[in-house]
Amino acid sequence: MGEKEKILIKSSTGNLHLIRDFVEKKAAELGIDSKVISQIIISVDEACTNVIKHTHKYNDTNEIEVETVYKNKEFAVIIRYAGEAFDPTKKETPDMKEYFKKFKVGGLGIPIMKKSMDKIEFKHTKPNKNSLTLIKVI
Amino acid sequence: MDEFTITEKKAGDLVILYLNGFLDAHTSSVLEKKFEELLSKKLFKVIINFAGLTYISSAGLGVFMAYIETLRSNSGDIKLSNMSDKIYNIFDMLGFPILFKIVKDESEAVTLFNENA
Repeated sequence: MGEKEKILIKSSTGNLHLIRDFVEKKAAELGIDSKVISQIIISVDEACTNVIKHTHKYNDTNEIEVETVYKNKEFAVIIRYAGEAFDPTKKETPDMKEYFKKFKVGGLGIPIMKKSMDKIEFKHTKPNKNSLTLIKVI
Repeated sequence: MDEFTITEKKAGDLVILYLNGFLDAHTSSVLEKKFEELLSKKLFKVIINFAGLTYISSAGLGVFMAYIETLRSNSGDIKLSNMSDKIYNIFDMLGFPILFKIVKDESEAVTLFNENA
């Protein structure tokens, strides 16, 4: 171990690649299949993008902490940030046939997370602490 | 290495865009601007060559969704080619192949445009 299992970044889309690189490195160290790593990475990216855009409204004085934990054959990525509560698990998944028919744009981050991960847990602690945990069974 | 760049090639009324690097919520505006530029030049037939693209998120998918209808209503289209399995899997996950023609090779996309000309 020795190496840090978490990173703290400024809430900016310009830092998304740093988060992806960090999670990829941690997952690769565990020998996780590259196809599965891709699913984890895009889910973390989508979750953090939503936080940057919707919760922090592109104000990069905010921060996002991303931690990876591996235990009991589960690889978990915990995303911690301050702000209003928003539980993505409660969001309804769009009907993709309708989506394409109407040429809709946006709103695909959460469906991607739900399709790619095995479990998603959201926790809000007063006054404004949030943690979103994305879990993949390995 | 640049985070995201686009190289452009013109062949008659066809435009081929070669994407390089990663396409996420940070870089997708670069592609958006490119589409706006093509629209202003009345270029509606676009092939996207993904050979140099290492990553795409929903922000990237959103750019294609945002322009496909306009291009098609102007007798154009966006055809996608040369995707790695990694990139294709993301398009496939939510059913994008329903709406977008995805071909193995750029030349196939060119042929498709010429057939419909």
